[in-house]
Amino acid sequence: MTQTLDPTVVPLRDPTLLDRSRGAARSLARFMRGKPLGGSGLIVVVLFILVALLAGVIQRHDPDEIFETPNPDYKANPSTLELARNPDIGSPVLVSQFEEPGGDHWFGTDKFGRDIWSQVVHGARLSLIVGLGASVIAVVGGLIIGMISAYYAGIVDLLIQRIVDMLQAIPFLVLVLVFTQITERSVFNVVLWLGVAGLAITTRLIRSAVFAVRESEFVLAARVVGASDLRIMVRHVLPNVVAVLIIAFSIGIGAYILAEASISFLGAGPQGIPSWGQMVQAGRGSLDLHPWQTVFAGGAIMLIVLGFNLLGDALRDVLDPRLRGA
Amino acid sequence: MQAYIIRRVIGAVFVVFLVGTFSFFAIRVLPGDFATASLGLDAGSASAENIQQRRADLGLDKPIGEQYAVWLWDTVRLDLGDSFLTQNTVWYEIGRSLPYSIELGVLIMIVGFTVAIPVGLLSAIFQDKLADYTLRGLAILALAAPVFWTAAIASLVVLQWDLFLIDVIGQPHLWEDPERAITWYLIPMFAGGFAGTATTMRLLRSQMLEVLRQDYVRTARAKGLRESVVIIRHALRNALLPVLTVMGVTIATIIGSQVILENMFNIPGIGNKVLTSLFARDNPVFQSVVLIIAVFTVLTNLVVDILYGVIDPRIRLS
Repeated sequence: MTQTLDPTVVPLRDPTLLDRSRGAARSLARFMRGKPLGGSGLIVVVLFILVALLAGVIQRHDPDEIFETPNPDYKANPSTLELARNPDIGSPVLVSQFEEPGGDHWFGTDKFGRDIWSQVVHGARLSLIVGLGASVIAVVGGLIIGMISAYYAGIVDLLIQRIVDMLQAIPFLVLVLVFTQITERSVFNVVLWLGVAGLAITTRLIRSAVFAVRESEFVLAARVVGASDLRIMVRHVLPNVVAVLIIAFSIGIGAYILAEASISFLGAGPQGIPSWGQMVQAGRGSLDLHPWQTVFAGGAIMLIVLGFNLLGDALRDVLDPRLRGA
Repeated sequence: MQAYIIRRVIGAVFVVFLVGTFSFFAIRVLPGDFATASLGLDAGSASAENIQQRRADLGLDKPIGEQYAVWLWDTVRLDLGDSFLTQNTVWYEIGRSLPYSIELGVLIMIVGFTVAIPVGLLSAIFQDKLADYTLRGLAILALAAPVFWTAAIASLVVLQWDLFLIDVIGQPHLWEDPERAITWYLIPMFAGGFAGTATTMRLLRSQMLEVLRQDYVRTARAKGLRESVVIIRHALRNALLPVLTVMGVTIATIIGSQVILENMFNIPGIGNKVLTSLFARDNPVFQSVVLIIAVFTVLTNLVVDILYGVIDPRIRLS
């Protein structure tokens, strides 16, 4: 289809690869034109991925560095009376806390005199790892469980569906809070548990898709010629639910990012890594006078979730128009 | 119809039982228990004997199978036990906190629906016009903004312009001191409502678009009915049904955001109880509040399903 007739094009070692990448570029362009909202979502997502990858380059400061300014009132060996009036008088430097945005600190500094811009930049890493990682786990797990549930039907299906019902009767946030408490709250564990908590939704979605495919005639035909269950699953059912898998993957990401931000906000998130949710909480202590940490960190959460949601919505519309509005 | 209802009720009871079992084992699987949490084992300040003693007092030293059997039997008889933390009965704790959560939850739903219904309606009527894009854009923003951030920004606005006092003294109910209570609930109810609006609005919009293309709407218009009658009586009523079917999910989402909002605004409701009992390993309270939340969502789903079955006979048979 995309054969090139231009003789000046230098043939690559693998011409199909060139064709394929051209095709991909072309369909990307078509996607951006046809779905401007989804396209802008894609741009936001790509920007955040770049920020996360290049955090060390664009950070401008170390996120843990504490900034200090010379103390204008400094006095060596102050008297007791002077110390009582101004407890800081004896120290030559002061922590430059709560600086306004601008100048050297684009987003200002926090309570401990650290640069907010560099914290926000590093926070992108956690959110992306959490969103993408948890969604992969939820979709792969949901695929396996959903296929078993739909294919074997009967009592297995009934049991799995009741467990899914159970998980859905508990608010997602509570589920995540409980799960993440079980193990040490490392980034890996939090991602894992978020994915497990998301299994209920993906399982249900994938199960109904498999159910639909299972009833189709080509599956019946495969069974008639004696194909094994495993072969039918992998060769006939799987390729026909790929669209649903992509949709389930992309629309879940925003929810996992929000869930991680929420548990971090509540002080139960992953430890030892800058987190936007935790920054929103940290900034709340001085919200009325110095709102910048809360404003920027929360704004970053909203923007990244917005990007993933827009992209997911557009992908869903393109891949499966029937699911629109679901 | 009867068989359908019975099947549904049995399914619902089984799901509630599963949730109870899940929360029973979940709180026990977590590292540490109330004895270590309250005596501070990690700091090494409590002796092993003290902890053993405390465990024996609370019945935590018994085999887990025995504990489970006791819990099951007690729960079936509606005896939820006593809180480890406050020594009060769990029923007393729930009786004190549930009204706050119901108040806030109802306010959130009122805000959510009063925003979502007109917005979804307008968005569908003016499909692909400026109003539609603006409203949909707002809904997409509402879906992306974390509820704690919206609430924090709203607090910031209130503080900056000194609109009203956020720190309410005491914990007034709406029926005790409406004025103070409403200032207390104002930010959480709008933040929660805003977050809850988006899904409802988007669903209503897509349903409206579908319904507006139906024959009976064309018939209604052909009869010469006023447009407002067509939209509200013929289209909206039919478009609202699917919105009601996802009520269970909507309620679960609202309860989820209530956990955060109650924590932020010191509202001593069920959501707050979930957090405190989880972190303190207060087993009886945790199990019971999770169970109550599950009963709420499952019951909503059950009522919706049965009502739907009454309205639409096709569903009963599937």
